[in-house]
Amino acid sequence: MNKANKKTWIYRFAALAAVLLVAAAMFIIGRGHTVYFDNKMPENASGNIEVPYSIEVFVNGEKVAKLKDGDRGMAETMGQNFKMELLVTKEKGGKTSKIEVGMSLPYNMDGIILNLPAMLAGMDESQYLTEFIPTPSSEDTEDEEVVTDDTEGLMDFGE
Amino acid sequence: MNKYNVSDILRRFSVPIMFVLICVICAPISGLSPSYLANEIVTRMGRNAFLILSLLIPIMAGMGLNFSMTLGAMAGEIGLILVCDWQIIGIPGMILAMIISIPISALLGLFCGKVLNMAKGREMITSYIISFFINGIYQLVVLYLMGPVIPIKHSTIKLPRGYGVRNTVSLLSMRQKLDNLIPLSIAGVKIPVATFIIVFLLCLVIVWFRKTKLGQDMRAVGQDMEVAKDAGINVERTRIISMVLSTVFAGVGMIIYLQNMGNIATYSSHSQIGMFCIAALLVGGASVDKASIGNVFLGIVLFHTMFIVAPKAGTVITGDSMIGEYFRVFVSYAVITVALVMYETNKRKNKSKAGEQLALDQEAANE
Repeated sequence: MNKANKKTWIYRFAALAAVLLVAAAMFIIGRGHTVYFDNKMPENASGNIEVPYSIEVFVNGEKVAKLKDGDRGMAETMGQNFKMELLVTKEKGGKTSKIEVGMSLPYNMDGIILNLPAMLAGMDESQYLTEFIPTPSSEDTEDEEVVTDDTEGLMDFGE
Repeated sequence: MNKYNVSDILRRFSVPIMFVLICVICAPISGLSPSYLANEIVTRMGRNAFLILSLLIPIMAGMGLNFSMTLGAMAGEIGLILVCDWQIIGIPGMILAMIISIPISALLGLFCGKVLNMAKGREMITSYIISFFINGIYQLVVLYLMGPVIPIKHSTIKLPRGYGVRNTVSLLSMRQKLDNLIPLSIAGVKIPVATFIIVFLLCLVIVWFRKTKLGQDMRAVGQDMEVAKDAGINVERTRIISMVLSTVFAGVGMIIYLQNMGNIATYSSHSQIGMFCIAALLVGGASVDKASIGNVFLGIVLFHTMFIVAPKAGTVITGDSMIGEYFRVFVSYAVITVALVMYETNKRKNKSKAGEQLALDQEAANE
């Protein structure tokens, strides 16, 4: 292999490596998650957990949910680093406190449920973070006829 | 001077003139407001420009209108389906879909180029039939291999039977993310700045490419293959490269197109795209052997103005919106037919003119 050829191959491999690196980066920074926020007593709750009167959730400065006792809200997010701001009102007419929360979301979960009272009570991650597994709707399970031909029916001249 | 012969100019620009007339007549009848029309045209320009620009390189190489641009469109769709299943969203999702589509497009372009080299002089009909052939393979992959062989996890994408992809895949997670990346609105008209920047970059690449050695080779091949061969140009390789580039650009263009639409019609999105892009280019004044960036933008404005106003004008005139729908589809096909007929007529005319000139020269030499 002459020098010019060698150089060409080096450039090609470098370009390929750069593209693969970009693809890997996109996999990480572009991973989408749906985060659900629950303001209710967690199942199998252990310890002293109080459910606040209301919690307002802000993601990227945008209000995504206002949760009263027993409510659920949601937000779409991209990447593993998740930051939110919570405005917590413990009792009706009471003082509102602002709490900033930052956490790392698990890559393999599409939907994540965050139990906010458990999180605010300082419990372990396994107790406030669970995977949301959607139940397929009747529409999802209904058989779908696949139409692969744009002209289907147009050539049907009858019996 | 022949160059300024009115009848020649009228004949050459007959299609754009006809479309200007259609738009001028139909626009007031449709009753659509100018701001609505402007918004729609700007949106459609961002959506379609990249796809139509991908047609320029094969025309430069003398391969005519690339009906097999649908191959690239299919590759783009495969990239998007996979990215949706992996839940990669937004701009990163689009970039990843492009990275996935490029090798698939390149391979399909390579195959298409090789086949077209075997069918020199009949490139358009061959590329049209290749698109049907590859559509069959695409259906095999998407309908049967996605699921059992290529893992598809989400029930919103996979058919309830356990394999194959649904008729429609939602792209809500990346809908208009590129268009809205740099928000700008002028007099109520939303401008997709980021999309326009990408389109502008492709225009620059095309202008630059024409000046490169490869670009010059392509033009030489497009003018006369035999002369180009005698000049030492590898004609077949040059033609293959033009097809590969066109298919890759079409794949990227399809991703930009679908992010604007917000969903994929899995089995039909690609099938019509080639036809409408070619029709738009021809409406802009391009021909089978000559097309420029200006033709692309003029074509989008005229063709899509007709597309927007025709159904409304049809409803106002006849009371039936379907008349307008039929009209715009009929016009798309008619434009392609007219362009192909005009190309063949001109080719024969030039050939007979050259023959007559040769006979006259021989006569003069004998005398």
